Amino acid sequence: MSTGSYIRKRSRPLQVYAIIFIIVLYVPVLFIPLFSFNDSIYVRFPLEGFTLKWYVELFQRDAVWNSLMNSVRVGVAVSVISTLFGIFAAKAIARYRFPGRGPLVGFIMLPLVVPLIIFGVALLVLLSRLGIPLSLWTVGLGHLIVCMPFSIATLLPRFEGFEPALEEASADLGENALWTFWRVTLPMIFPGVVASLMLTFTVSFDEFIMAFFLNGTQPTLPIYIWGQLRFPQEFPSVLALSSFVIAASFVIVFIGLWINRGAHAGTIKVE
Amino acid sequence: MDVLDQLGSMREGKMSRRAFTKSLLAAGVAVTAVPMGGRKAMAAAEDQATYFTWGGYDIPELFGEYQEKHGELPNFSVFGSSEEALTKMRGGFVVDVSHPCNQALPRWKASELFQPVDPTRLSHWGDVMPELVSLEGNDAGDGKLWMVPFDWGQTSITYRTDLIDVEEESWDMLWNEEYKGKLGSLAAGADAWWIGAIKAGVSFEEIDTPEAFEKIAAVMREQRPLIRTYTDDTTTLEQALASGELVAAMTWNSSAALLKAEGVEVKFADPKEGALTWVCGVMIHKDASKVDRAYDVIDSLLSVETGKFMIGDYGYGHSNAKSFDEFTAEELAELGLSKTPADILQAGHFQTPQTQEWETKMSSMFEEIKAGF
Amino acid sequence: MSDQSLSASTSDPDSPARRAGWFERLIYRSEAARGFSLLAPTLIFLLTVILVPFAILIIMSLWTAVGFDFDTTPTIKNYQQVFERPIYLALLGRSIYISAIATVATVVLCYPMAYYVAFHVHRNKMMWIVLMTLPFWTSYLLRVFAWKVVLGYEGVINSALINVGLIDEPLGFLLYSQEAVIITLAHAWAAFAILPIYVSLEKIDRSLLEAATDLGDGPAMRFIRITLPLSLPGVIAASLLIFIPTTGDYITPALLGGPDGAMIGNLIQKMFGPINNWPMGATLSIVLMIIIALICLVYVFIMLLVRRKIS
Repeated sequence: MSTGSYIRKRSRPLQVYAIIFIIVLYVPVLFIPLFSFNDSIYVRFPLEGFTLKWYVELFQRDAVWNSLMNSVRVGVAVSVISTLFGIFAAKAIARYRFPGRGPLVGFIMLPLVVPLIIFGVALLVLLSRLGIPLSLWTVGLGHLIVCMPFSIATLLPRFEGFEPALEEASADLGENALWTFWRVTLPMIFPGVVASLMLTFTVSFDEFIMAFFLNGTQPTLPIYIWGQLRFPQEFPSVLALSSFVIAASFVIVFIGLWINRGAHAGTIKVE
Repeated sequence: MDVLDQLGSMREGKMSRRAFTKSLLAAGVAVTAVPMGGRKAMAAAEDQATYFTWGGYDIPELFGEYQEKHGELPNFSVFGSSEEALTKMRGGFVVDVSHPCNQALPRWKASELFQPVDPTRLSHWGDVMPELVSLEGNDAGDGKLWMVPFDWGQTSITYRTDLIDVEEESWDMLWNEEYKGKLGSLAAGADAWWIGAIKAGVSFEEIDTPEAFEKIAAVMREQRPLIRTYTDDTTTLEQALASGELVAAMTWNSSAALLKAEGVEVKFADPKEGALTWVCGVMIHKDASKVDRAYDVIDSLLSVETGKFMIGDYGYGHSNAKSFDEFTAEELAELGLSKTPADILQAGHFQTPQTQEWETKMSSMFEEIKAGF
Repeated sequence: MSDQSLSASTSDPDSPARRAGWFERLIYRSEAARGFSLLAPTLIFLLTVILVPFAILIIMSLWTAVGFDFDTTPTIKNYQQVFERPIYLALLGRSIYISAIATVATVVLCYPMAYYVAFHVHRNKMMWIVLMTLPFWTSYLLRVFAWKVVLGYEGVINSALINVGLIDEPLGFLLYSQEAVIITLAHAWAAFAILPIYVSLEKIDRSLLEAATDLGDGPAMRFIRITLPLSLPGVIAASLLIFIPTTGDYITPALLGGPDGAMIGNLIQKMFGPINNWPMGATLSIVLMIIIALICLVYVFIMLLVRRKIS
């Protein structure tokens, strides 16, 4: 708290800007729940009246739930696998020096800086040449490429701020590598692991472009939504589902924040 | 540049890592708890056949028989144009039943992705109108049947009778400068290019000549600045017509029928040059994993119950002759249909199959025109 | 650009590799071996799923589509076509133009926001950050679709303007235009601008600002001489994170672009869909990738130059 007074001064125009910014950020998104209560299959103004029937219908729409479950299945698998790979890779990058390290890391991070449509197309060409039928597996394969850099980027700071002496001490005390990992390394990087799992799950859960090229007959949620955007049969149900997802994520993030309100005040002070 | 560094801290939220990760943990628990609830529905859906079809055919009304027998609907996957569908399947997308039209039939068959249909396994086969079966490339003669006809209809103009005055229904309506920015078109060349041929006066026998390409391209280029949107999605066109955003659009029968049912003042035109006509049907994929249920899908589509919906609600022709007995001659005339498909199909321009080279050339040319070149 | 930074930032002084004894070299070698073996699973996986498809993509770009099949005699005809037929370069140009404008707009609009949170929010910083990123938890598709609702013919803006009495007829140009695509992209990618810029602003040592003030700099000079150059890494990261993916986007132009708003992603998708010319689609993908790489290199180079100039 050594910074001076003048920077801390409130700036009225910036404050107004910030409020307008937040409003513009939120308003389009909030139309989704708004229309999920609208009594019309079409999404248009004026609103036709309040209804809960789309929410009721949601529970009878198998297609929506199936696609949700497909997305969850792909997301869970992808997040677990990419985080596992990510732990190894992040440890190697943070801890060891080896020739060609820079270019190799650049290569691993490549998916972040190549438009996904190109990966989607390239994988599609490969799979079809090999005669592999498209399925949730191929979607998962594509998502792994996207998620791995995210996972490594999330875990890397954890390993960098980690004292190798702890692992060495454990090894000196006669623990084998697996036990050391379980007892020492994992607890240290655990927050990073959770963050990586969550982040990669979110990326996979929302990924559309690769899934569009690689999906088989079992649609993921974004593919299903895309179909509904083009050919709205059950579209208000999709809005209802999305409202659930929005509400759930809002509530979870805020609860998490509330639980940690003491913790993060401290963090900011340190910085 | 420390892009990665930035990214890492941004993604992880360096500002308060603990707070962030804890909330993520909470979310993680919530999300992983979800799978337990949904298990049952999922298992059932995986047993059903997958029907790969046009947007608007993925509705329970067409699968009454199927649902009765299996307790669930088939799985649906939807495409916007038959070329999109074929390319997708050639890329390794395996379904049980798919839904091409007569114009694409020989090429679909040539792709070797399909198996012949055994009509004896279809309980409604006896009621299927024979003139719809003997289509070019369907080889109904040699005992092998590739496509089971299901629906037939027209591509024409749906226009707002209250917004524009039309003296004579003609394709010129979609080329009328007065309606600039208020016209809509289907995006697929499989409809639009053929309409271009009708407009340009090119007969379908000559549609593959270089001169025909030039003539049709010229009329499509002329039309392009007038069009507000090209779309595969009939709902977009219907909504735009309903709101007055569009006054006329190239559509199939169902758009006009659905809009009328909603009370919008529209008419499905009978253009003086003739509409574009077609027959569509269903084929079984050679690697279909649920062949028995694939036959049930087809049988359900052929049922009178389905036909009644197709005719009455969508305004399409159906392939089951008995479906038409549910309607009086006046009702059919009102819908622009007839008990004898030939009345309608021969009155318009019936689409004819072309080579794959032609399709590729046509599609890429039409895409260029749509993009403004 | 990323490689250099990583190898530079890890020049750990007490690395055993710095000493040259045979024993140390062995340790070094075994360390390399350990590093490689840990990295191996990830690397092997990514090598297979990135390099192999790319190799096939490049090979396919040298083929030609003949009906259902491919003529596999290698030819650069597809590449020639990219330069000969006006549509390809024009769509590439349009995509880059739309993405560039969207990127600039996003960064410019988000910078003050990030600045506000970094310097003017003191309590509940985390709440603000969550507040800014929360909308991005919703499906990207639905956020794009939400803009269709806002800009549409019967959409929010038109309804509002008609109700107020400013216009009689809905404005048609809001939807199905390049502007619609730009607005939507800027909104959809805002989080990717706010967070990196915020992080780089937050990292700035406040005492530098104090020092500048003590030396007599006003707020504007202080911003130009200190804050801006020090936050440039965030700006560069944000720009690249937005520019690269949006150039290849095809959802937004497909839903909101109309005939004039189509981008190269739409054409690539169509090459693999209705047009059924996979080799041409492969060629376009490769050309797109090369162009993006070149633009990014030039951009990063210029920004670094600018940064050196200012400071």
